[in-house]
Amino acid sequence: MAKTILAVDDSGSLRQMVAFSLKAAGYDVVQAVDGQDGLDKAKEKTVDLVLTDQNMPIMDGLTLIKNLRELGSYQKVPILMLTTESSDEMKAKGKAAGANGWLVKPFDPKRLIEVVQKVIGS
Amino acid sequence: MSMNALPILKLRHLLADVSDHGKQHLLRVESDLLQTTYLLNKAIEDLSASFISVHDSVTKQQQILDSLIEQHHFNHEETKQLEVFKQNIVNEVNAVITGLQFQDLTSQLLTRTVNHVNGLKDLLQELVTHDDSVIEGNEQEQLISFLEEVDRKLHASSHNLAAGTRPSVKSKDMATGDIELF
Repeated sequence: MAKTILAVDDSGSLRQMVAFSLKAAGYDVVQAVDGQDGLDKAKEKTVDLVLTDQNMPIMDGLTLIKNLRELGSYQKVPILMLTTESSDEMKAKGKAAGANGWLVKPFDPKRLIEVVQKVIGS
Repeated sequence: MSMNALPILKLRHLLADVSDHGKQHLLRVESDLLQTTYLLNKAIEDLSASFISVHDSVTKQQQILDSLIEQHHFNHEETKQLEVFKQNIVNEVNAVITGLQFQDLTSQLLTRTVNHVNGLKDLLQELVTHDDSVIEGNEQEQLISFLEEVDRKLHASSHNLAAGTRPSVKSKDMATGDIELF
């Protein structure tokens, strides 16, 4: 059974590219348009990995991670940030919030898949 | 000297004009930026849809080719060439996916610029938001007090504007970003 990844980003084109790349590698993808939408969809079904942007309306990525980590079912689910933010300060905040990795946009599909496979397997 | 001729009133009138003209121009800038964002989003949306459609067709074509290779005997050179084409397609698909993401980055920059334009409009509004009362005989002090009030408001608005905007996107080429696992 294919593993499911929750992709959270307020940019439609970015979500489309992430979903396209992940589906081509055999993963199921659930898409969310912001942190709150991501949190709602994460509660509906526990996914195998969360890939989230940082700067989004309504709820940003760091707040989403903090909220997910408070849910029993998401304490050990890997969460990766995919964002244009690249400062060490933001990375430290992400790590403290509970992120397992930091990917700076734009992503290379091949490298994205390699990282996802490393984190959750094929 | 009559009240209407007081320098402080003339100064207020001048600042009101600066504010009005500035806001009118900024409105046009904002309108153009929003239109640019719309056109860019629409273009990339359509391009992405076409790209996915083309990729879908190429994938199906490849499946048929793979099946033909299994059923028929192709010579080594032909099989090798087909593999090269297959790898070229994969490389180009990856390049397109990376390239299409720059719409997201430019869109963020445009949003940041629109926010700055709106902040500048608020800044200009500060030039006309003040106490209009004028007390005769105390003009020098009123002028100083007025200028200090405008200066203070401009500094506060400018600080709020800088604090409220997202960090700027720094990418200067088409390179992909770093990856770090914690």
